[in-house]
Amino acid sequence: MAVDTVTMAALVAVYLVLTFIIAYYAYRKTKSPEDYLVAGRSSHPAVIALSYGATFISTSAIIGFGGQAANLGMGLIWLTVLNIGVGILLAFVFFGKKTREIGQRLSAVTFPDLMCKIYRSPLLQYISGFIIVISMPLYTAAILIGGARFIEPTLGISYTTALVIFAVITAVYVIFGGLIAVMYTDAFQGTIMFVGMTVLLVLTYLVVGGVTAGNAALTNMADLVPAALGAQGMTGWTSMPALGSPIWFTLLTTIVLGVGIGVLAQPQLVVRFMTAKDDKSLNRAVLVGGIFILMMTGVAFTVGALSNVYFYEHAGTIAIDAAGGNVDAVIPLFINEAMPDIFVALFMLTLLAAAMSTLSSLYHAMGTALICDLWGRGRECALSLRNHQAGIIVMMVLSTALAFALPVSIIARATAMFMGLCAAAFLPAFAVGIYAKRPSTKAAIASMVSGAVVWFLWTGFVHTAEAKPLGICQALFGVPSLLPLPWSVIDPLVIALPVSLVVMVALQNHYGNNRAPEAAVPAG
Amino acid sequence: MLVLGIPDPQIWIGYGLAIGFTLACIVYGILNWDKGGGTSGS
Repeated sequence: MAVDTVTMAALVAVYLVLTFIIAYYAYRKTKSPEDYLVAGRSSHPAVIALSYGATFISTSAIIGFGGQAANLGMGLIWLTVLNIGVGILLAFVFFGKKTREIGQRLSAVTFPDLMCKIYRSPLLQYISGFIIVISMPLYTAAILIGGARFIEPTLGISYTTALVIFAVITAVYVIFGGLIAVMYTDAFQGTIMFVGMTVLLVLTYLVVGGVTAGNAALTNMADLVPAALGAQGMTGWTSMPALGSPIWFTLLTTIVLGVGIGVLAQPQLVVRFMTAKDDKSLNRAVLVGGIFILMMTGVAFTVGALSNVYFYEHAGTIAIDAAGGNVDAVIPLFINEAMPDIFVALFMLTLLAAAMSTLSSLYHAMGTALICDLWGRGRECALSLRNHQAGIIVMMVLSTALAFALPVSIIARATAMFMGLCAAAFLPAFAVGIYAKRPSTKAAIASMVSGAVVWFLWTGFVHTAEAKPLGICQALFGVPSLLPLPWSVIDPLVIALPVSLVVMVALQNHYGNNRAPEAAVPAG
Repeated sequence: MLVLGIPDPQIWIGYGLAIGFTLACIVYGILNWDKGGGTSGS
């Protein structure tokens, strides 16, 4: 790396000290279970927006998907379109306000608690909590791996030590400060990310000769597309893949739709809406959130694609070859080789901030799901701060163990899997729950279960990207996938979400009108 | 048609929409800056 280890360690130390000062301030403000679980329902609009954005954007978006843009080109910009249009505008305006209002009225403190109280069904709280507790550690482990892979060379320590230290340091301030600490530190980390990505965009276009010249140079590299990618439909880095080709399906269904729609029903993000004091806070958060997301994913995808120009001009090769075939290594390599030393240090802090902001939110969501929604549901201890702290520790240990067990190159895949499952299982029931006058409990349970089951079946037996490494289909049927192309490259979300939606709508129409008018179940 | 060196309309329309949605967020935030101040339902 360009910056020496001592300098980098000093910068990281300053960053951590500032993070813990903010976390201590939040700890002092945390007086009640409502503070710990939903930040006292009085968060500042900028804190809501930056926390939402920083939680949403992890090292996966910058390193994993930025590397995918280096490999597949600027077509990933359509994910940014959905990130902003769906992940901010639709999420805050149509989902956020109703979620805040209902969450406040029913005194809901977690996403499963919200579902339970809307539908008056403890079973829905158990199902939602169970899905969170079994699926979120996968995403958490991916974030841990991404962070540890960066810390290892940066600070010159072993991968194992890096992973354990990263997991424990982040958990400490979540355990003591709850959601106030998570959101305040998220806002600080989000600010670092915004500055880092803005500077990265400007420097990248300076390196490749300007906006038009850089884009044109990338356009002129179309004949350098590797034969293997060309055979699967890739046509260049400034053009979309051939319609209906395997790469087109992967780009559109897994990357764009999987992550773009999946954001709507992620429990750790839905809780952010419940921390707002009023709709005014959410209105103001939209302004900050839109700009923030554009400067995160929009920049990562643009820079990823343009890195090909730099590597071709300086090394005579395309980015993925310069990185030795490792997609996750493209962005770090580009930063180290093309950027000035001072920016290398800033970008390393950007990555650390991105990883910690997402990780802290996942710890909080998993710990509260375990204690409030599963273990302690219906009991007084469900709101015990000490029990929640224990729950976060348990989930931190589980996620860390999983991180040691997962294979390499799992970051982007695990992210898409988690978001896809969340959308398939939760989105229809969540949407109908907050908008229908008489939401049907039977419809919600059937939708949630069918969405999750279909997602798991498609993942295990059809979608080759997961079915092949899992090996269940191969062991049982002797083939990596039960269905041929194009089905084997269509993401599980694209099948499971419509199934979940149809089940929800059909049963809601059948049962919804036969239910008594809404009344919240007692808290706890 | 080349737009800022990008030949495929599917790409530069994507960039246009990403920027357009960001502007929509900004305009929405400004127009509704002081609306929804009550803590009751919207």
